[in-house]
Amino acid sequence: MRPLLRWALVAAAAVALVTFPYWSAPWVSRFATTLVRDALILAMFALSLDLLVGRAGMPSLGHAAFFGAGAYAAGITGQRLGTDQLPVTLGAAALVGALLAVVIGVLVVRSEGIFFLMLTLALAQIVFAIAFQWTALTGGSNGLSGVGRPVLAGIDFSAPDLMYVLVAVTFVLAALVIWGLARSPYGRALSGVRENERRMRALGYDTARLRLSAFVIAGTIAGIAGALSAYSTRFVSAQDAGLANSVRAFVTVLVGGAGTLGGPIVGSALVSLIERVVPSLLPTDLRISEAILGLVFIGFVLFARQGMVGLGRSAYYRVQHR
Amino acid sequence: MIEVRELRRVFGGVVALDGVTLTLAEGERRAVIGPNGAGKTTMINMLAGETAPTAGTIRLAGRDITRMRPWQRARLGLAHVYQRTELFASLSARDNVGLAVAAHRGPYRVFRAVPRAEYAEGEAVLGRVGLAGRESVAARDLSHGERRQLELAVALAQRPRVLLLDEPTAGMSPLETARITELIAGLDRTLTILIVEHDMDVVFRLADRVTVLHEGRVIADGTAADVRGDMRVHDVYLGKAVTVA
Repeated sequence: MRPLLRWALVAAAAVALVTFPYWSAPWVSRFATTLVRDALILAMFALSLDLLVGRAGMPSLGHAAFFGAGAYAAGITGQRLGTDQLPVTLGAAALVGALLAVVIGVLVVRSEGIFFLMLTLALAQIVFAIAFQWTALTGGSNGLSGVGRPVLAGIDFSAPDLMYVLVAVTFVLAALVIWGLARSPYGRALSGVRENERRMRALGYDTARLRLSAFVIAGTIAGIAGALSAYSTRFVSAQDAGLANSVRAFVTVLVGGAGTLGGPIVGSALVSLIERVVPSLLPTDLRISEAILGLVFIGFVLFARQGMVGLGRSAYYRVQHR
Repeated sequence: MIEVRELRRVFGGVVALDGVTLTLAEGERRAVIGPNGAGKTTMINMLAGETAPTAGTIRLAGRDITRMRPWQRARLGLAHVYQRTELFASLSARDNVGLAVAAHRGPYRVFRAVPRAEYAEGEAVLGRVGLAGRESVAARDLSHGERRQLELAVALAQRPRVLLLDEPTAGMSPLETARITELIAGLDRTLTILIVEHDMDVVFRLADRVTVLHEGRVIADGTAADVRGDMRVHDVYLGKAVTVA
């Protein structure tokens, strides 16, 4: 009964999330739908990064390369092929994310720790530079505007509420995929790589291949998140592939709690609130959301390494053992 | 089962192993002893593939594995218990052995939980090394002795053909040492074991043959009784004036 109950709760939460614009209208402004939509895109992006950072112990500071590549792939294939078909543009984003992850992954998976961090950062900066300079393809510093919203089986996702539904459904699917990976023998093998790669090799695991596979899965999901961002804002900026976006995903993972399913999700909620809601509460000459985010990040690193999920768990533990 | 020929390793200008030749028959239990710096761990690390030899060859069941990577050797049936504990610290004892059980089934199994049969197999091994009831404890929360037991359990869960033991009883209490020694003594006789050990009681309890290393060379090799009577070995061990030019 208990697992069944849990599944029922998860399903109910998923339905509530996907239908958010339709039941929330009486209580909150239209802005809320946009806010939640963008938070879900960030959550998907952060979940894919957490597969590397939290599960496999690969601290990538270049994850925006895949997000940006997916966003450009969706926008450019749509415009060049003159199609709004979701399978085409989203498929292109996933494919480009995966291929880029193979190329970068092959170069980085044998390095560890700070070297891994610097290599992913440097390679992502190359991707950013290409996006920024190749004006004919990407629009360069002007960005790529006029990205079309997709169409699937006669459903046109142009309307804001339907666009939201597309994002929410994709997010739920991505979260299910990550959950399914994490609890499987594959997910446990990634934990083994994180905890002691040398030991994993001694047990007969080809750890370079394991790490590469995680890198490609993460790149693919990040590419899909990028495409959803391009559809949502109808725009791709070179900054989408830039360092600030990589850092944003990293902060989201760590603030929420690395190596957990809930962490990147609650992290993205907090980051979105700080970025989008807090500034409107502050006087106009004091809109310093990045500084606030930085302070929150420092606070978590110093006092709550396990993130919001860790804080929640220890609070729950204290209540249970009172 | 294992054939080591003229194995040599130089670190910078220091010769750690200077042309060691060694053959282990299938099911043989061989101890390698010698003072600190004799090259014992260097040799075991070269057998496991973690240190590349400067020269020489290593064969496993007739197959040249000298250039193989550690994970490839593990798949051929080589298991290594490290001198310093190498576990998955934040994972439970159950998952530590589970990763070893799952190794030959491959890691690319997704979207379903770890099969119960795999857990059961791992838990049986934990029971054998004396960790029954400790399955859910994270490796880092186990005592030192328990971690060494878990280390051995992980190696056994690989179902190896050859077991490389680098001081399996280091840091254990006499009671724990006796238990682990009996456990190893009771292992399947088809399993080939190479053990590096300082505790002579353990060596003479377990080993069919003993190889003595000194300054990177084999200075004695024979049955346990032979080596016990060899004066040079006494000299090396008791720190008498042994000078090797």
